[in-house]
Amino acid sequence: MMRSLYFILALLLIAIVIVLGLQVGSFESDLSTIAEAFLNYNPDNTTHYAIVHLRLPRLLLALVVGASLAFCGYLMQAMVNNGLADPYLLGTASGASLGAVLVFFGFVEITIGSFYMPPVLAMAGAFIVTLVVVILGYRKRQLIPAQLLLAGIAISSLCTAMVGLLTFLSDSESKLKSVIFWSMGSFERASWTLLPYPAVALIMALLLFAFLQKQLNILMLGSERAQALGVQVSHTRWAILATVSIVTGFAVATSGPIGFVGLIVPHVTRGLLGTTGKSNLLFCAFVGGLFMLLCDLLSRIIYPPTGLPIGIITSFFGVPFFVYLLSRKNYKFSS
Amino acid sequence: MKNKAIVYSLYLLSFIVATIAGCQQKQEPQNQDQGITITDDLGRELHLPKQPVRVFGFTSAMAEMLFAIVDTANIIARTPDCDYPAAVYTKPLVSNYPVDLEQVLALKPDLIFTSEGMTPLEDAARLQELGIPVYYQKYRTVEDVLRGIEDIGRIMGREQVANHLADSLRKEVQQLETNYRNRPNPLQVLTITWTDPIYVYGQNTLLTDKLRILGAENAVKETFDQPYPALTREYILKLNPDILMGGTKEKLEQTFFSQYPELRKIKAYKDGRIYAPTGNLIERPGPRIVESLRELEGFLYP
Repeated sequence: MMRSLYFILALLLIAIVIVLGLQVGSFESDLSTIAEAFLNYNPDNTTHYAIVHLRLPRLLLALVVGASLAFCGYLMQAMVNNGLADPYLLGTASGASLGAVLVFFGFVEITIGSFYMPPVLAMAGAFIVTLVVVILGYRKRQLIPAQLLLAGIAISSLCTAMVGLLTFLSDSESKLKSVIFWSMGSFERASWTLLPYPAVALIMALLLFAFLQKQLNILMLGSERAQALGVQVSHTRWAILATVSIVTGFAVATSGPIGFVGLIVPHVTRGLLGTTGKSNLLFCAFVGGLFMLLCDLLSRIIYPPTGLPIGIITSFFGVPFFVYLLSRKNYKFSS
Repeated sequence: MKNKAIVYSLYLLSFIVATIAGCQQKQEPQNQDQGITITDDLGRELHLPKQPVRVFGFTSAMAEMLFAIVDTANIIARTPDCDYPAAVYTKPLVSNYPVDLEQVLALKPDLIFTSEGMTPLEDAARLQELGIPVYYQKYRTVEDVLRGIEDIGRIMGREQVANHLADSLRKEVQQLETNYRNRPNPLQVLTITWTDPIYVYGQNTLLTDKLRILGAENAVKETFDQPYPALTREYILKLNPDILMGGTKEKLEQTFFSQYPELRKIKAYKDGRIYAPTGNLIERPGPRIVESLRELEGFLYP
């Protein structure tokens, strides 16, 4: 009963924030303008155009990316059985940053054919770094979570150092602004053509793990107990790794690496629904999306027109809530 | 008797020492009096022991200023961005960011010229501690740049050259201003400096005054905290500029409009009024400011 109530509340809040978000922008627009933009769309009306082609995809991208990062955070925490894990544990964020920064610093052409290369290289960077981390974390035909974790930290540090070196050697202040974007994230480049990539990846992953939620909950008891209870630990871990690298890769390539969501939202989910809830993953995705929508809206209200880098907002508003959650006596990471 | 002689001798010695010390104490302020005190555009007072001779600029624009005013032999260094005039390449290279303190010390400059926002004040304070004063200029208008030329002339004892240069540039600026005064429906110009994210020339930049002289306006009317603010696509759609500057049509098609296809709706794109100003002309407040105005005039009124 309580679970259904939380789901309805989350969906309702998502809808409210989307409607509010549609009203924030450079063109003045009230609810009637928004309704008109959807019901009687006029392509020559720039306000209608801004609402349908700029604001809505931005909000939906924030929803999808927030959901993706929270969902992947939940998977990673379950896989390594550690509440400190987040989707960037495999080095995705730093790999993506390095990939994008390499383009801005002239190592790769900024456009090749009709492709704008920073997101492409960000995606490639995320995958390559994840692959290296996985190779380092693979011993005796199985993934060793502790080794994976350490390899992720080491390779991330190396990528961050390389980004730092390139930034230091930068001959242009403008290039540094791109580096900031690729370090903290933004939804400003959202469009209807960009949105399907992270959205399809997320939906596929949600469908896959709708069948694996039970194994995931058992995995949180530890690999030996999970094995004893009939879970194919190795297969489940590979499924998690592949999903996290693809879903996070798309999220980072479209919006930059946004921190903290993947760390805190899984804890919020477990705090509300318990550690082994049947629909934890789906709820976690909803809360992640809602949290990101709220952060994006706040960033644009606080610092118009571009908004503050989204990573700053996620930390500012997420940390106090996270601390409150951890201080609650009845909260536990696993059952 | 002997003791008395020793005591008198000691008195005499003390008197001589005290007199010499006293003379030295008096000499120090005298030296300072002989020096000069100048106040830069940020209101910082700089005490120079003598009129500066050995100087260099910490910005490429300042190097251009100095080459136009000062005896070339007295310009002792260049920074990595300096590329004009060609003679600048004959000077030793010194890093301005981060400042290579040892190299600057080795060059023994009497004064370094820079402009607001280009050299951190902490760097200037550190150099001041090492005995090298840094003089800042600040420009909001074209007239500020011309006054800057005159100031450098006054500091360097080259008033005649500097005033002549400033006056001739001023006349050309006034002529342009007269030609384009009170134009109805001034052209709205948006100038981008970076595409991802989109950064533009804001209202509080020198470009706004250049456009005013040419009877046009900076499309960005709002004054942001930063001189080069970041803008969203929606904000630019609302500005709907008549002219977009920042790259050739082909280049912006590849790097800007392909990334932000929504911006193909702006008037400048529809009318094909996209121009690429020369980077080291539009960006630099220096003696080529009229050359920059002439280039902009060509874009605005082809």
